[in-house]
Formats: sequence, C-alpha cells, structure tokens
Amino acid sequence: MHGPMSGSGRGKSHRMGSFNGKPRRKKGNHELTTKEEVPELLQKQAQGLLEKGEEIKVAVSTDLRFDSTYGKDWLLVTDKRLIAFNQSGVLGHDIREVALTSVEDIEILEMYGNNILKVTTSENAFELARYSKRLTPKFNLAVSELEKLSLQKEADSGDGARGRGGPGSSGRRRGRRGNGGNGMQPGGDKSRCEKCGEPIPSWSGVCVNCVKKSKLIFRLFKYAVPFLHVIIPAFLLMLLIRFVAVLPPILSKELIDNILMPVGTAVSTNQALPETSWGQLQGIADTLGGWFGSMPLGGSFGHLIAIIFMMVGLRVFTMGTSSIRGYMMAWVGQNVTRRLQNETYEHLNALSIDFFHERDTGNLMSRITHDVSRLRDFVANGLQDIVGDTFTILFMCTFMFSYHWKLALWTLIPIPCLIIFTIFFGKKMSKVYHVLWKRYANISTILASTIPGVRVVKAFARERYEISRFSDLTHQVFTGEMNAAKLGTLYRPMMEFITYSGSIIIWLVGGWQIFQGDLTLGILFMFQSYMMQFFRPVYTLCQMNERFIRAGTSAERVFEILDTPPSVADKRDAVALANIRGAIEFKDVYFSYDSEKDALNGVSFQVQPGEMIGLVGHSGAGKSTLINLITRFYDPNEGTIEIDGHNSKEIRLKALRQQVGVVLQDPFLFAGTIAENIGYSKPGASRHEIIASAKAANAHDFIIKFPDGYDTMVGERGARVSGGERQRISIARAILKNPRILILDEATSSVDTETESKIQEALERLVQGRTVFAIAHRLSTLKYADRLIVLKEGEVDEMGTHEELIAKDGTYASLCQKQTELSKIRAW
Amino acid sequence: MNEPIKVADELEFLDANKVSIGRNAFAELVVQLPDGTTHTKVEPVRSFPVSETTRYIALLDNEGNELGIVEDVKKLTPNSRDVLTEELQKRYFMPKITKINSLDGQFGVTTWNVETTQGDVEFGIRTRYDIVTLESGRVLIKDADGNRYEIENYNKLDPKSIALLQTQM
Repeated sequence: MHGPMSGSGRGKSHRMGSFNGKPRRKKGNHELTTKEEVPELLQKQAQGLLEKGEEIKVAVSTDLRFDSTYGKDWLLVTDKRLIAFNQSGVLGHDIREVALTSVEDIEILEMYGNNILKVTTSENAFELARYSKRLTPKFNLAVSELEKLSLQKEADSGDGARGRGGPGSSGRRRGRRGNGGNGMQPGGDKSRCEKCGEPIPSWSGVCVNCVKKSKLIFRLFKYAVPFLHVIIPAFLLMLLIRFVAVLPPILSKELIDNILMPVGTAVSTNQALPETSWGQLQGIADTLGGWFGSMPLGGSFGHLIAIIFMMVGLRVFTMGTSSIRGYMMAWVGQNVTRRLQNETYEHLNALSIDFFHERDTGNLMSRITHDVSRLRDFVANGLQDIVGDTFTILFMCTFMFSYHWKLALWTLIPIPCLIIFTIFFGKKMSKVYHVLWKRYANISTILASTIPGVRVVKAFARERYEISRFSDLTHQVFTGEMNAAKLGTLYRPMMEFITYSGSIIIWLVGGWQIFQGDLTLGILFMFQSYMMQFFRPVYTLCQMNERFIRAGTSAERVFEILDTPPSVADKRDAVALANIRGAIEFKDVYFSYDSEKDALNGVSFQVQPGEMIGLVGHSGAGKSTLINLITRFYDPNEGTIEIDGHNSKEIRLKALRQQVGVVLQDPFLFAGTIAENIGYSKPGASRHEIIASAKAANAHDFIIKFPDGYDTMVGERGARVSGGERQRISIARAILKNPRILILDEATSSVDTETESKIQEALERLVQGRTVFAIAHRLSTLKYADRLIVLKEGEVDEMGTHEELIAKDGTYASLCQKQTELSKIRAW
Repeated sequence: MNEPIKVADELEFLDANKVSIGRNAFAELVVQLPDGTTHTKVEPVRSFPVSETTRYIALLDNEGNELGIVEDVKKLTPNSRDVLTEELQKRYFMPKITKINSLDGQFGVTTWNVETTQGDVEFGIRTRYDIVTLESGRVLIKDADGNRYEIENYNKLDPKSIALLQTQM
C-alpha cells in the first residue's frame, strides 16, 4: 500500500480518459473502517501498555510519517488511552501514550496536502498522526469515535470538576457536528468515488469505473417502453432489410451460373443456344419473355431481364423500407429525448440550491442537451445497429457455408485480422481524439476569457501576449489534427488491404476449386461480393464496447440528476402557512456549507412581525447564510428557525417562498418585456398592478421613456438597462408580490448616489408593515432599521438599535467610525 | 403594526370626465387637468405600445414630467378622445403586414417585400433578434432604420407568407 496515496491523484491521471471499461476495483482500499488489522509486532508492543480487560476500540493507519515520507504509522484508541506509533528513522517506533481522561481537545489541523491529528491535554499537546487528504474521511470518522469514547469516559468517571463542559463546548474542534459526524458528506466532496475509491474525472462528475452499464441501459429502456408499438415493427423491418440486403449476391450467382455461363459457353463454341428452364423464375421469365418475344436470345434473355428486375426491385424495396424505418426510429428517438429532457429539467427545478453550487452550469447544460441526445442516439440507432450487424454477419455466413463451406472457411481467415486491427485502431483513434477534444476546449476557454476581458487586455497592452498564447493553442490543435489525419489516412488503406487480401484468397482458393470442378464461377462471384460487405458490420461491432460505455456514462450523468433528492424538501405533513405574520426566531442555529468551516455557529435571536433588521458584518461573517436559511435555500444543520412559531422545516416551501420577497445586489432579469419581468412574481398580475408597482419602485418614469414602454424587451439581447434601472425593476417585482418577509441583500450597493436615493425612497415604501432583513455595507442605508444584528465569524456579536450599539462602543461603533472617516476622504 | 401598502390602490388615474385634451393654433396638445391647471405641448405616451394601444396613456408635460395617466382613451369625452387618438396615431406608426411577397437574404441582411395595411413597402432587417414572436402569434418587427411593423397573427397569413416567415424564426 505504498503507491497511490497522494491526495491529488497524480500519476493516476492516465486512467481518466481511457474508455476501455475494465473495472479496476481494489477491494478493501475504499472501505471505511476504523478497526484495521494491526501488525503483530505493534500489537505485542501495545499489549504491554494495556491494563487487564482493556480493549482496542479504534485502530487506524496513516499513510504519511512525520519525517514526510510515505509510510504507515498507527493510532490505536482503547477505552482508556490513545497510543500512537510513529516510526522514527529505521530504528523502530516512537510510542506515545495519552490517557483519555487527560484529553482536553482533539483537533484535525487541515494543511496543504496533508492533515495532522492533534491532541491537547491540560499540560501539553501531541501531534499523533499525519496523513494525506485521501484519508480525511477515515480520520474524521476516527475522531468522532474518539470523541464518543472520551465523552463516555468522562461520564463514567463523573469528573465534571475540571472545567470542561463536555466536548461540545470546545470551539476549536473541526468537522461538522450533529450530522452523523462520519465525515462522508453526501454529494458534496466528490473527488473520489465512494464505491471504488478511484478519482472521479471532473468533466463527468460520476465514476467511469463504477458505471454499471447493463443496469443503466436497462433503466434507459423504461423510456423506450411507451414506444414499443413502433420499436418492435421497426426492429422487424430492420431484420427484413438486413436479410434482403444480403440477397443480391445470390441473384448474381444465379445469373452467372444459370444464364450467362451456359449462353457464353454456347456462343464461344458456336453451339445452339440452350433453353434454360428452372425453378421459380420460370413464371416471371415467361411473362418478360413475352414482352421481349422478338428478341433473338429468347428464354435465356428473358431470365436475364427477370433477374435484373429482381435486383432493382430488391434495391428499391430496401431503400423504401429503410427510409420508413428511419422515420419511425427518429420519431421514437425524439420522443425519448423530449421525455428525458423534460423530466430532467423538471427535477432540476425541484433540486435545492446546494446542488447548483456544487456543479458548474456548463456541465449541467451539457447533461441535458449533449448527454440526452447521445442516449437518444443509442436507443434509436446504437442498439438496433448492433443487433442488425450481428444478423447481417450471420446471414452472410449462413449463405456462404450453405453454398460452399470449404471456401467459406478460407474466406473467414482475414476476419480476425480485421477485428484486431479495428479494435487497435479504434483505441488509438479515441486517444488521439480525446487529446484533440481537450485542445479544442482550451481554445474555447481562452476565447471565453479574453473576449469579455478585452478591456483589460487593451488597457495593459497585452494583445501580443494573448495572440501568442492563442497561436500556441492553434498550433497544438494543428499537431493534434495531423496526428488524427496520420491515423485516419493510414487506417482506410490498411482496411482496404485486408479486405483485398480476403478477395485474393477467394480468387486463389476459389480458382483452384474451379479447376477441381468443385466450384462454379457464380459462387466465386458471390463470395467476392460478401467479402466487400463484411467490413462495415465488423467495424460497428468492434466499436460496440465503446458505444456501450459512452451511453452508460451519459446515462449515469443524466440519472445522477434524476436520482438526487432535493436536500430541502417538503415534509409530508408540512403546513401551508397561508398568511405569515412575519415573526422569526433563530434558536441556536448551526450551519455549514461544506463541513470544513461553520458558516453559522449557534445563532439565536428573535424578530417581531413588521420589524426591520439590519445585518452588519464583514464579508464571510454569515449575513448571506442567515438569509439563505430564512428563504430555506438551505436548512440548518442544528437548531431551529421558527416562523410564526412553526419550525421552518414544517412549512410548505411554496407557501413560504410565496410570502418572502428578495431584492438582490445584482438583480436578474429574464429575457422578456419589462412588464413580464415585473409580473414574474405574481402570475396573472394586471397591467394596473404592474404600473402601480413600478410607480412605487420609482421605475415608472424611466420605463415610459423607452419607446416601447413596458413592452421593452430586456435581458440578454434586449434593451440596455442600467444597474440602477434593473434594481428598480426588481424592486417593483418585489412590491408586486406583496411579501410579508422582505430581504434586501445589498440592494443599493452597486448604484450611484443619486439613483441610490431614488431606490432608498422606493425601499422605504416597500418596508412598511413587513418583516425586513437588510444587508448593507454602507451603514447609512440601514438608518431606518429598528434593530441591527452584528455578525462576526458566524456568531451574533452585538444586537440593538443604532444608538445602543454606538453607546456600547463595540464592533458596530468602530465600523461606523471607519465609514465616516472614509466618506470624509471621499468628500474631500 | 402597519399594514403593508397595497400598491394597486395607490395608483390613481386621471378622472376621464374632468380632463380635457385639445389642440392649440401651433398644433400642440393642450391639456386641462382636473385640478384646473392647463399645460401646453403635452406629449402622450403609451405605457404598452405593443400590447395595449388605447389604455394606460401617460401624459407628459414639455419637460417630461408625468401629469397623469389616462386609463382608457374610450372613457374620455368625445372631443378629447378624438384629439388624443389622432395624436397617438401620428406618434405611433406601425403598419400591419398582410402579405409577404418575398424575402431575400444576403450577408445576414434580409430584405422583406411586403404588403401592409398602409400600402406596399420594402425594408431590411439586420438581425433575427429584431423579429419578436409573441405567444398569441403576433409578430413584431423592427427594420434596419428603426421603423416598426407588425403581423397580427402569423397563423392567419396565406400559406406562402407563413412559409417565408418561418424561415426567419
């Protein structure tokens, strides 16, 4: 267990792109256990330290030593003590022992590329274990068990006099508490697969190794089931088409052996022309012979024409049927796409904000567009192609063996070469294309960053630098494309050569067989045609594995969205609180976004209905988090939020959000008219109400100055609307909604002073009679607040009116003073 | 505790019976408001030029300040109504396209040859974003020079026009 330990997964990255689909699961490596098998030597040493009846409860190995080399050290925990074995040099282990009762604090020091577990007693502190980030979950679990043990110990000994109010009081402890404490966050940190422990490629978001293809593809069929009435006929049609497509060589065989050869021989030896009459063609031949009755070649010529007509007929039939089948399958495919897309989008809308925080928009978009259409392709074409090609090969082989099994065996000799060659090239090609795809992506990245940032580029006169960066990338694409071209231009001739060698074998062996009188010319011809037809189905079948993997990965990516439950969801017995009064109480609320750092750390306060609360604090103090909890974008980890005396988790989301209005710093306008944007908050709002809200928001005056008035298109590609104007439109939106709880998140920080005063005026009207939470950096904008809550590092630092807080001369007072000084400088 | 304001109740329109709109010798609009004040060079502005052509007409004085909003032109006294309607027709010119004869696209600019309620006309469109289709089937068009046209309901055009239009949407 020495190699794959670095947290960054370096040296293993070669696995990310390869699609050869072999599951590389390492058993035991990923299973989270805190009771590992301790080596005998250590066990002996440890036993010497233990008292009678003392039992090892936790045994965890590290992957890093204190001398910064990779290697295993051990940490053992019994119900009485902690024992750490740390290798020092080559000599053996340093053994350190800490009694559980003396432990004051346990903490995990999170550092750059590694962590250290540190234990503090009343006298000193020990760094007991050092490990790479890879083992974070294991050690989080170990620490939480350690805490449990030390808690127990304390309860057992009844020793409360040491001034420790239990582990909960230790503010320094890391890790999300009250959340099971097992360190395995669902969904959150997904750099490694939970199942197999392999790193997850970030473009995919799901583990490529663990995709259970068969299961996913089976699930995919659920979406095809409603269209079986079309799929089954289309499938049967395909079998028919495949069968008919292998018939023409048989016809040409008949043509040569039964018509042309006898006639040709007769002509060359000046004999009388033979009157062929055979089998099933006779009837057609007679009819056609009638038409061409005056022709000199009589019956034989009639047969020729009949066969030619059949050839044309088969062709026309195949063409017609495949276009009908193609249309049917396109219909199925598009229906599957539509259903999957709608279902995914619907679920996406139901998901909570945290889901969107963890994933980037581009990735989600490509799942709904790109992956879904790949799945459509697989359902509509991929699968049927695979079955169809198998049948084509089967049909051809059946005919070949039934006509001449010896020659058939000879003919199949180059096929294994064809298969090996195709697989080999396929792998090479997909590698080359993967590289190429990344290089193209780099070009998009650089364009996407430099075109919007063109002002910066020009301001610093860095055009030449950007141009050379860009041309480096185009050069990389050039070499990549040329590599692909090298392979591509090599591939076709090679394939053709293999096919050609097949036909050479047929000429050779078949020719010899003709000399032996064992074969007719017609059959030789038939074999030659089949040889030419062999290539395509073999090629498709060789690509089958890759197609399955790709479809499986896409399915996983789509189904991951569908399978994620919203983290904030209605309980079954949630109450639909129709008329919220607006009383809000936070009761010892803890919240953390990522388990690393608490965003809110035991926040408690009470707000009366209609009160306006100003939230003050440095960025990162928890102001926005507090608001996210009121709107229930997230739910607290610990503690409760009560709205009108109801636990917010018990209130139906829709009812709550209908009565909460939000005005953000940088308001978002949808593509649509101004009237639609204002009316967004209240479906079916009348024009009367829209104008009234716009007037109340001080927006009406500028709106009617647009030539299109309220019908002006805004949003992307719409009219240019300034920041202040957008802000007022969004205030109008909030006013129209008439919410009982209003949240102003830096509503005026991005506009100039004059606009600000107009917005302030609008806001004053808006806040009347509502419970308001206002966040502002400019403290002057909070002058109407009834009370101020000053947050500091996730805790309530001060609370009170402006005057009270100034008199207290604490954090708020100093913030105020700083701003006054700043504004003096500005004014000057 | 104060009740939150009900904004819809706060909005007051001009009393249709007490407002009079006329025209003076300089062809300027003269408005007498219910409070008795008289304003010249008044500019009527449609709040919803596209979706509501005869209601919510804002009256601006010559400095651009709003004097008030006429809720519905039809409710005005006959004299005022005629003057205001005439003035609005002059200020807002948006012919209705009844038939599309041809569309010629070259280098991204499309030349439309159409028949409208106001006569035949040819105009150029610079981007497809200047053609806005509303849910009702109504199509609003802005040409390269800023002129406006509309199609009331494109489903009701003749098949050839519809086929031509669909290439642009």
